[in-house]
Parts: sequence; C-alpha cells; structure tokens
Amino acid sequence: MYERGIVMGVGSSHGNGLFFRTLTEKQAEEIHLASCQILEDTGMVIHHEEAVELLRKAGAHVENGNRVYFPSFLVKQALQSAPSRVTLYNRNGDAALHLEGSNVYFGTGSDTLNYLDPFTLERRSWRQEDVAKAIRICDKLPNIDFVMSMGLLSDVNPLMINREQYAIMVQNTEKPQVVIAEDGDTLKDIIEMASSVRGGNDRLRQKPLFMIYTEPTSPLQHPKESIEKLLIAAEYGVPSNFACGGVAGASVPTTVAGALVQANAEALSGLVIHQLKAPGAPFVYGYGNSPLDMRTMQAVYGTPEAVLFQGGAVDLAHYYQLPSWGYAGCSNSKVCDEQAIMESTMFTLMGALQGCNIMHDVFYMEFGITGSLELLVISNEVIGRTRRLLKGIDTDKESLGVESIMRVGPGGNFLGDDHTAKHFRQNWMPDLSDFNNYENWTENGSKTMVERARDRIKLILETHQPKPVSEEVKAQINEVLRKAKEKLGGS
Amino acid sequence: MSSLNDLAELVISGNYNGAKELTQRLIDNGTEPLEIINQGLMAGMNVVGVRFKAGDMFVPEVMMSAKAMSTGIELVKPLIADRDMPSAGTVLIGTVKGDLHDIGKKLVVMMMESAGFKVIDLGVDISPEAFVEAVKEHKPQAIGMSALLTTTMLSMRDTIEALEEEGLRDSVKIVIGGAPISQSFAEEIGADGYAPDAAAATDLCKKLIA
Repeated sequence: MYERGIVMGVGSSHGNGLFFRTLTEKQAEEIHLASCQILEDTGMVIHHEEAVELLRKAGAHVENGNRVYFPSFLVKQALQSAPSRVTLYNRNGDAALHLEGSNVYFGTGSDTLNYLDPFTLERRSWRQEDVAKAIRICDKLPNIDFVMSMGLLSDVNPLMINREQYAIMVQNTEKPQVVIAEDGDTLKDIIEMASSVRGGNDRLRQKPLFMIYTEPTSPLQHPKESIEKLLIAAEYGVPSNFACGGVAGASVPTTVAGALVQANAEALSGLVIHQLKAPGAPFVYGYGNSPLDMRTMQAVYGTPEAVLFQGGAVDLAHYYQLPSWGYAGCSNSKVCDEQAIMESTMFTLMGALQGCNIMHDVFYMEFGITGSLELLVISNEVIGRTRRLLKGIDTDKESLGVESIMRVGPGGNFLGDDHTAKHFRQNWMPDLSDFNNYENWTENGSKTMVERARDRIKLILETHQPKPVSEEVKAQINEVLRKAKEKLGGS
Repeated sequence: MSSLNDLAELVISGNYNGAKELTQRLIDNGTEPLEIINQGLMAGMNVVGVRFKAGDMFVPEVMMSAKAMSTGIELVKPLIADRDMPSAGTVLIGTVKGDLHDIGKKLVVMMMESAGFKVIDLGVDISPEAFVEAVKEHKPQAIGMSALLTTTMLSMRDTIEALEEEGLRDSVKIVIGGAPISQSFAEEIGADGYAPDAAAATDLCKKLIA
C-alpha cells in the first residue's frame, strides 16, 4: 500500500527525482505493529462519553468507564474509510492546497505570546492590529500557502480569542486557514463564519476553507474538548488532524522510534473515533515532537531528532496513504539571528524533502513563544529555493541543450545564445537574497538580510491591501462575534 | 509610422528574425534609413535599457534585443554615409596581455553597443603595444581594459604607461574592470575610472565622454 506512482518504491518523490525517505517500509510496518499493540494492550483514557460509546459499539473493550482498548481491526477499518487526499480551498472557492502524494505546503503557526515588533524591535503582547498586519503580509508572500492565527490576542475578551482571531484571518487573506478552537462552541462559531464566506454549510463541506487542529494529551489521554472538536469536525466535514506536540523524554519516549510508536498510536486512536463518527470524513495524519532539552528543561523545536521524527511520521502517512501534517520554518532563538535561520531553514528543507503535505509554524521563535515577521519573510525565500530543488532536473531534449552547445562551440559564450534567453527564467531567482557585487551592495545601503526583510515588511504594509470580504459577509461575521460575546459575557 | 513602432517592439522582444524582415521591408518601402535606426531600432533598444535598469529584463534578453538591433543596423548601414551614423562615441576594448577571459568583456561590449557606442573589440591577450597601435588607428574616445586574474591585472598599468610614452594618454579616457579590480587599483595605476559591472561600465563611459 506504500506506492503512489513512485520511482523504485521510494516513499516521497518530487517531480523528476529529488526524494528522501526516513524509514524503510519494513520499519514503517514495525512501528505500525508496535502502535497497534499499545492501542490494544494499554489503550487510552478518553474523557468523552459519546466517543467511548461509539468505540464500545464498534467492538472496543472499555474498562472503568473511560479506559478504551482498541482492537486492531478498528484501526484497519478506519484506515480504509479515511480519504487519501484532502483539498483546502481559498476564500474564492479555488482549490489551493492539494494534500496528497508528496505535495508540500507551508504556513504560519498560531498563538505565539509575543510579537517581535519589526519597527520598534520590542518584544511585546500581540494586539488585533498586529495580527491583521501579520496576516496581510502572509496574504502577499507567494510561498506562504495558508495561515494560522500567529498571535494570541491581548486586547480582546479572553473567552473570545479564537473567534476574534478567525474573524481577523478570514478578512485579511484569501488563503486557507488552519484554526485552533478553545472548545466545540468556538469551532461551531468558526464554522458559521466560514459558512458565511462560502455561502452555506453544504458548500463549506464541499470546499473546506479551513482545517482544525485538535490534539490528544500525551501520554495516551484524550481531553473532552479535543474529542468534542474532532467529532464536530467529522460531522461538518471540516478537515481535522489529531496531532499532539509530544515532548520526547517527558510525554513521549526519548528515542525517536519510541516517540513515533506512541504518537502513531495516539493519532490512529483519533482517526478511529473520527471515522466511526463519519466514515470518509477528511483527516490529516501527523504529529509533532519537541524533545526535552535536559540541560534547560525546554521543549525545543527542530533538533535533528525532531526532524527525523517528522520524516518517520510522514513515511507512516505514506504507508497509510493519508495526507501528512508537520512543521517547518521554526526556531528556538530569541531574535531573528543566525540560529533562527539555521534551525528554520533546515526544518523547511527537510520537511519538503520528506514530502510532508502541510507544514506549519513558519515564523516561530523561542519554542513558539514569540513570532518574527522577519523570519516569516526570510522563510518565504527559503521555501522558494526549496520548491525549486524539489522540481529536480529535466532531461528532455530541449533541456539537454546539445544543439546549443554545438552552436556556441569552444571558446564561445552562452550569454548570447537563444537557448539561454529562452530558459534562464526557469531557474530560481532571488528576491531578498543579495547577489550584487560589493559596490552595488554598499550603494543599496549595505543591508543585512534581516534589514532587507524589515524593508520588505514595511513595503508590503504600505502597498498591499488584501481583497476584502463583502459587506454582507462582514456583517454576518460581526453578528457571530456579537452573539458569542452576549452568551459568554466577560469583558 | 506604426511599422516603426512594430520594429521597436520586435527589438524589445528580441525577435531578431522578425526585426531583420521588417527592416528590409521598411527599406524597400523607401523609409528614411535614419528614421529606421532612430525611431525603430534604437527606440526599441532605449526601452530595453530602461527595463534592464529597472530589473524587468535580464542580460540574456538584452543580448537577444541587441542582436535584433544589430541585424537591422547591418541592413541599413550601407545606405547611410559613415559620418551620419548616430554614435555615442568610439570605445576600444580588450582583455589585457596574458589573460584569455572573454565573456565579461563581451558583455560590456554588448551593453555599450546597445547604448549606441561604436565598440572596437580587440579580443583577448592584448599587449600594451597592440593597444597603442589600435588607438593610433581608430582614435577612440575611450579604452576599456579587462582582467580576471590578479597576475594579469598589472598589465593594465603597463598599457597606461605605454600610452603615456607615445603621448596618447590624454587623447582617451581609460576605464578598467574585472573581478580583481577595484576603485583604489584604478586610482593607483592612473585610470580614469573603474566599473564593477557591464551596466556601470556603459554609464561611466557616457559620463567620461560627455
């Protein structure tokens, strides 16, 4: 079940040839069997009555009311009904993200506590206007394919944060979103806002505008709210993952393989519940791992083990023929410095080579506590380079260029040849990277990459206005927010 | 009139076959040769220059446009007296003694030609004596010298000294360039200017000759 029209049984292959695989098929099977053993012998604690009932009726063994042991046939059944491809559509209703095969897409992360203000260089709480600006920048950047909320809002009713974030996202970019919701009611309100954009729940089901991120609590527990969201997502046809951010050495085993076994068991348990609720509902497989650094006791992003873990998870997704979810473009650094670029770039490139379908957290700094728009803008360029790499080498007659080499001959010059003029624009060209000679670089102000990124942020904010939603949709969104405020109370 | 615009468009798009055909048709129709150059071929090339500076066109495309312009000019040239040919000036150019690198210098030649200069390209491995002889023969307003190697760049100083000995130094402006060359080196050897790239070399010659 591993192959997807791929050269020599390779798990993830791109265009004409760049590919990368972390696990052999045999290793993938070993992990699968180990996860099934955990599901069957250790089981999960599930704090949600409807989910426990669904599982019991389907043949799971239940003890103490909420300890559920999953027989392996339930996993097989769920894998059979889950679709191998999920598509996210933009605000205009055009297919934007084809989550299948080894396609790769990149987007931001959600809910960082601090905004690194690119103009004052302050590290401070996010305000609504900051998130709106940040989303506008994402709208403009060609290699950012979807958005998450980026900043935790400090200037709204705390009970309303995820709803307010959604209202800002959907009004400041046409790109699809991945959302976080505090609970089921929040998710329902977000569905209502998205439906007003789409023109009804049925249309939203047919062309999903957003995906919901929901998660177990490792190890082996499913909180009520997570399952509530998972079931609502299944019911409404909102694509969903069930992807905890594991902390190797604390909430999942410290070995990469052990982390994969447990993560896989938890993700599969979510899939089983999801498919029991609505067979065929869109599900995106994935998991995160931020290993615990035993010197600082920090859960850190993008260590080699974390990157390997993601490769394993993506190979498992390919093994199951499910779309995959993961990370890219994130860092532990406190400012947008060399460490930030090193960690984020390595993760971005590796994630792309792994063929991870939808990667989030581009722009995360400081373990996801802080967000940097400079890192976002620089990552846009890193992703551009990476996408070119994935295309591999064309070896058709025209690309081989034999005629051109003959025309130019010994001592000649390809600069003046038709073949060059015809094809050079197919090569990657820099946008922010500086390829000037020293003189022209100094004439342009001797700016470093981060300074150029700041200039770009300023330029986008001055010149780019995203396409607005209609007045009618805007009124409907405001109405959802108003009703929620009324119901929730608070400030 | 509109066919002159069409000719300019053909130059801009680098369609040299089309430019050649249309130039011939214009000649056959009795269009003034100088009009063909100024309002057709050069007009197109001027647009190319602006787009190149703005970063909307790149060297390989400019090369195609220059090729389109020169195929046209070749057809028109025999119809015009030499002194009537529009020119921004004559530039003599070569890679210095001991150095066989050609591509960067050719790029400069192309850029200068497309800016309206008459360029005499001496080729590579040009000795100080050969530069001196060529100056006597062609009487250029400027000389461009190119070197890619730190070992050959010193020949630039020899060439300037040879021109001084012959009493020709003041008759020409000297511009130098190439990977190891810098502004301070230009000043040190008594050149009139240094250009870090082909576009800068063209601008510099325009400035020095004006």
